[in-house]
Amino acid sequence: MMGRTIFIDPGRCIGCQACVSACRECDSHRGKSMIHLDYPEEGRSVASLPTVCMHCEDPVAPCAEVCPADAILVTADGVVQQADTTRCIGCANCVNACPFGVPKIDLQAKLQMKCNLCYDRTAYGLAPMCATVCPTGALFYGTLEELRAERPGVQVADSFTFGSTTISTGVAMVVPADKVQWPVPGGLPIVEVNGVDVR
Amino acid sequence: MTEPPQAPAETPQAFAETPTASADPPPQTPAQVRRRATLAGVVVSALLIVAIVLGSRLLRDFDSALLPYAVATVFLAFGVAYRYTVWISAPGARRLFKQGWRAFFSVENFRRAPTALPKMIATYLGFQKFLGARSHARWAAHQLIFWGCVLAALITFPLTWGWFTFTSSTGSGPGYEMRIWGFKVLGFDSLNVVGWLMFHGLDIAAVLVIPGACYFLWRRMKDRAAITGQRFAYDLVPLIALIVISVTGLLLTFSSIFLHGGGYEFLAILHMVSVVFTLIYIPFGKFFHIVQRPAAVGMQLFKYTSRGKAGTAAGAAATAAGTAGAVVGGGAAAGGEEGLLTCRRCGEPIDAALYVENLQGTMRDLRLDFDEWAEYCPRCKRVLRGNAYLTHIKKGFK
Ligand code: SF4
Ligand code: SF4
Repeated sequence: MMGRTIFIDPGRCIGCQACVSACRECDSHRGKSMIHLDYPEEGRSVASLPTVCMHCEDPVAPCAEVCPADAILVTADGVVQQADTTRCIGCANCVNACPFGVPKIDLQAKLQMKCNLCYDRTAYGLAPMCATVCPTGALFYGTLEELRAERPGVQVADSFTFGSTTISTGVAMVVPADKVQWPVPGGLPIVEVNGVDVR
Repeated sequence: MTEPPQAPAETPQAFAETPTASADPPPQTPAQVRRRATLAGVVVSALLIVAIVLGSRLLRDFDSALLPYAVATVFLAFGVAYRYTVWISAPGARRLFKQGWRAFFSVENFRRAPTALPKMIATYLGFQKFLGARSHARWAAHQLIFWGCVLAALITFPLTWGWFTFTSSTGSGPGYEMRIWGFKVLGFDSLNVVGWLMFHGLDIAAVLVIPGACYFLWRRMKDRAAITGQRFAYDLVPLIALIVISVTGLLLTFSSIFLHGGGYEFLAILHMVSVVFTLIYIPFGKFFHIVQRPAAVGMQLFKYTSRGKAGTAAGAAATAAGTAGAVVGGGAAAGGEEGLLTCRRCGEPIDAALYVENLQGTMRDLRLDFDEWAEYCPRCKRVLRGNAYLTHIKKGFK
């Protein structure tokens, strides 16, 4: 169920790192960037992929489910928060269980940190830092209608497959119109890409 | 905010016979968990009542003026045992709980690291070094609150249970005897330093707690990171409670020394109400982290001892995933540490192999059937997803 959320369009991402810098300004983890920017085919193409927390809805937040300290809370509006500092024991369960590779961990501080959809901003109707600065619209914040008003006919998907499991998420991805029937592949099982074994 | 459901309420029939499920204990229903938790609560609070009766020499040493406090501790015992049982019944916590104790009793622990556990307890639970890595100011403030509360608890709990008595053979001092369970442990003079400390321990505790709690309260008003997602009942009430307890406690001393007991009764009631409220609140709010934090030691000890088990870990991790797990076995393996699982794609270390295996068990308990994915590092998961998107969704991201 998509309300006001982030829409990611990797096709528009130019890998400029603006979102990475802006994320550092977020009040809830000042000085540390929580967004990941990866170059999946480094050396072969300029493709880049920004990753924010997908705020998994069903199953709800695998990171929170595996947490032994009940440290990851989900708000009533479905935003999966970063670890509660009083509870997190720094065990890294969430880091290793998250299918999207999102949470970070500070082993010295025994503390997990991750994107919380800039809850200090989005709770008041403001766009998250990353979407505010993205120059190409690869990260868009708003409702699906607002996205479609800017990009007529655009299709989005909010479910991802990992092996036999399908995870539907609060954050969505832009997909070509003819592919929208599928859940987006999450990378598991591992496949060959353009004839190259990526394992 | 709501907590995510920890265990599926019912096991769907289709999933009942997954190949790996047989090795794992079946998930419990919430009703079963509640029943067990209630039982644990009843047993623990009954034991406490027995300990109070026996410890106070069949209530001869019991101070009836402190009855409300004693009753509150019995409720506290029930609440903590209940909440604790519910907590460790969730898959993630249950597995960690078991492995932590297994690690504690393991040969590795005693052979390789007899000093590891005391050291971990001192650094994590006593001096809370990890808090220093988060912020020095928060560490200092937390240490003040922590030691203040430890001191206060060590004094008040045995006192309200009638375990400690202070008696004077000469009527009203200055020579006092401190007895525990009726046995004399210490004789002191109320006019010297020891005596002063004995009678002002709680004032010292209050002086420690007040600046610490005030710092955190100030931070909750000013620090934008702290304000994000802050909840009144969860984040502010505990601080206010600590401050009210400490200030009224100090005022009681002030009243008896300088005001000849003026306002004492009112203060005593306010103090009692705030203490009783706080004790009963411990299992349900922020203070529950006091009970949970030792899990950090169990977790660390488990990771620590499992590092030594390279050989078995390699086999175990591989069977757990049903695939050839990439474990760096043997001390001499290049670039890796013993017993560490490394990413199957890039070879970066992930975590102790047995630890990841334990997590995979948790994931299967929770029907998160992509546990194989835990053998890849976060970056490779993202890159592989990017690759899949490139191949199947938008060729070349165009
Ligand atoms: S994407 Fe990862 S961190 Fe975010 S909610 Fe899902 S499991 Fe948790
Ligand atoms: S690192 Fe913290 S938030 Fe993550 S699973 Fe462990 S205790 Fe929970």
